[in-house]
Amino acid sequence: MTTVLPVFLLIIFIVVVTLVVVVTKNIRGKISQLSYQNRLFKALRELDIVAFSTTNIELLTQAIVDVVHNQLGYTVAVIAFPDYEKRIIKRMAISRSKETEEAFKNLISVKFSDQILSFAEDRNLLNKVLVQRKSFYTTNLFDVQVGVLPEEISKKIQQFFNMKGIFVYPLVSRDKVIGILEYTSIKKREDLSPFEFTIMQEFVSEAGRALENALLYQDLKYTSRKLEVANIKLKELDHLKDDFVSIASHELRTPMTAIRSYAWMALHKSDAPLSDKLQRYLVRVLISTERLINLVNDMLNISRIESGKIEINLSPIDPISLIRDIIDEVYYSKSTEKKFQFVVLEKPTPKIFADPDKLRQALLNLVGNSIKFTPVDGKIIFDFFSDGKIVDISVKDTGTGIPKEDLGKLFHKFSRLDSSYAAVSTSGGTGLGLYISKNLIELMHGKIWASSEGVGKGTTMTISLPVASPDTIAHPENYIVKAKGEVKGLEPVAI
Amino acid sequence: MDNNGKKLLIVEDDQFLREFYQELLQGEGYIVDVAGDGEIAFQKITNNKYDLILLDIMLPKKDGLQILTELKAGQKMGGLKIVALTNLGQDSVIKECFDLGVAGYMIKSALNPDQVLSEIKTYLSGSSTRSANG
Repeated sequence: MTTVLPVFLLIIFIVVVTLVVVVTKNIRGKISQLSYQNRLFKALRELDIVAFSTTNIELLTQAIVDVVHNQLGYTVAVIAFPDYEKRIIKRMAISRSKETEEAFKNLISVKFSDQILSFAEDRNLLNKVLVQRKSFYTTNLFDVQVGVLPEEISKKIQQFFNMKGIFVYPLVSRDKVIGILEYTSIKKREDLSPFEFTIMQEFVSEAGRALENALLYQDLKYTSRKLEVANIKLKELDHLKDDFVSIASHELRTPMTAIRSYAWMALHKSDAPLSDKLQRYLVRVLISTERLINLVNDMLNISRIESGKIEINLSPIDPISLIRDIIDEVYYSKSTEKKFQFVVLEKPTPKIFADPDKLRQALLNLVGNSIKFTPVDGKIIFDFFSDGKIVDISVKDTGTGIPKEDLGKLFHKFSRLDSSYAAVSTSGGTGLGLYISKNLIELMHGKIWASSEGVGKGTTMTISLPVASPDTIAHPENYIVKAKGEVKGLEPVAI
Repeated sequence: MDNNGKKLLIVEDDQFLREFYQELLQGEGYIVDVAGDGEIAFQKITNNKYDLILLDIMLPKKDGLQILTELKAGQKMGGLKIVALTNLGQDSVIKECFDLGVAGYMIKSALNPDQVLSEIKTYLSGSSTRSANG
């Protein structure tokens, strides 16, 4: 009995001691694991703060290497960027510490910003990382310096920092290496704990993501800057084009005015009687020149409308007095050939909300058209209709009319109808008037359309515009159209 | 003719147009003087007296707007009746001309010679400042 008890106690003691040792070891392990995790969290948090506060590549890369040194405890960390166009790898940031400062002062003759590696130097591990897109490890610093620094300097650096292990990681975005993280440790790989590996892997992938965002942002900034430059160039070109159009049209009009004026003089102020033939020729010269002048004007107007240079300024307009003014104007310009009867079917009509100049121009186009296609002694009848919200102004003539199938083609550029060629070539028509009118009316939130009972039964053109109600007048901003760039007016319309 | 004795200056760089306006207006009995560029025009305007000046805007040596600006700066616009006669139909140019004190504005390509004559008569007869092309 006396021998059994001590042995039993001894066994118990051993068991207890073993247990305590095992538990302590476990606890220690747990503690160190927790401390590593804690370091990772701190490192990631710091990275997050920087990544959120800046998209500046330099600040971000500097922050990453500083975290690797300060929080994760590695001696030196460097980030390098590949430049696929120049086929080089360029070191961008190095962790800041007293030691690195000293090393650059005393050991390293090549400035950090000049540490450039060619893609062609395939002995260097950085190029292997780039090509194979995976991490590498070495115990010799020169493996990452070959092609950049001389071997003896590399050795001195390694000794100075007591570097035992050198790790190189690719920072990957969309299957492409966008950066390379190099860091050195005073431990060899086999002396590092598995946690330390996991931590670095986590950190590297986070750093890669942050860098990817920053690079994308920089790309975006670069692209938008390029677009801005392109936009400025386009604006300059647009300006040149505008200048050219207005100078060219001015230059064109001067000789055309001379032809027109002299043809007119020959017709009206000739000092010898004109034969019928000569008179006919001169009339045709005059009409054709007028048509050319009108064409230049209409094309200028279309160019201004289409490039948004026309401004719409609205005011309440009495449609009936506007029509009376237009009739006066037509009489004035056609003073020698008063052959049409204008009829205004007056009735109480509310005021409309429109731009007086633009509406006048559109209506002059309609009246001009009616005159062109209405035989001598024809009638041009103006009528009005309102439902309280809009006012329809219609211009009805007793002219040639339009086949139903052609009504839709009227408002297109240069889309003269087959049936109208004969009439147009003897008038000053350009084939652009209705297109211009449609654009102007639509700029004023109105509509324009044509109707005809058929060939020989006349045509009715109708313009529909909003009523100048207290509500619309109170909110002109809903209707006003601002010009893009310099505001241009319209060239006078031909009737 | 009641136009006798009225003295007009035509400022126009295009020779054909200048001679056309000259012939047209002389045919109506006006005394017509001409200037082919901005400098000559400025000298003639400051040295002579005219009942009406037809001023082109795009001119060599000194353009019409410059002439108007200098006349205005020298406070010489008071006794002058100047009508812009040009092919520039821009609202901004028209406005500038009126701001500088022109009595009216005619767009050459938009007017027949008889319309030019009736406009000139209107300008000479009264202090009307209407614009021919609205």
